[in-house]
Amino acid sequence: MGHGRVDLVFDALGDPARRALVEAVAERGDATATELAAGLPVTRQAVAKQLATLADAGLLSATRAGRETRYAVTPEPLSDAVGWMVDVGAAWDDRLARLRRSLAKERAVR
Amino acid sequence: MRIEREIVFPATPAEVWEAITEAERLEEWFATEVEFDPQPGGEGVFRWGDGDERRAVVREAEPEERLVLDWDDEGEVVLELEEVDGGTRLHVTETSPDWSAALELHAFAWATVA
Repeated sequence: MGHGRVDLVFDALGDPARRALVEAVAERGDATATELAAGLPVTRQAVAKQLATLADAGLLSATRAGRETRYAVTPEPLSDAVGWMVDVGAAWDDRLARLRRSLAKERAVR
Repeated sequence: MRIEREIVFPATPAEVWEAITEAERLEEWFATEVEFDPQPGGEGVFRWGDGDERRAVVREAEPEERLVLDWDDEGEVVLELEEVDGGTRLHVTETSPDWSAALELHAFAWATVA
């Protein structure tokens, strides 16, 4: 059961869109699917599904607020480890995008 | 705890190796200011615009195949190149410093209880 939970954490964070959602929730303190979808080119339903996956993995806590569910990042120490994964993962996503451009540019010059 | 990324570039392993080992190429994608000596035992200094600085020592350097850096804060980065159809696959693994091993155990205990 415990191992399954840890696998859920790593699976949940394996997806760039879900990592971005964890970051967005962390920045706001807490948020609903509607609030998060407002800034994204995806439907509220798609965001709600991703948030539920993150909550199942224990990365976000879910609190019912009327007809909506508010999500918040779960407390330390898990969030420190998660923070490292989110930050380092995002840094590599950015770097590799720049590396791709750098390689293309070098090709064009030669 | 580790992060892994894999990406295929439409470039030869030689081109990718250049881009990940030459200081002026590293400045195009990795850091703002780079000093780098890409041979075993060689040192790297990486500076960013926000004043951040990280230092690393090259543990392994197999041209066009594999580059391993040890960060001075104990993390590690492994860059592996493989020629594939359509270009070169770059596999990146960054392992976190030791402190996270303890956190990971905490996280595991926490997840088991939760």
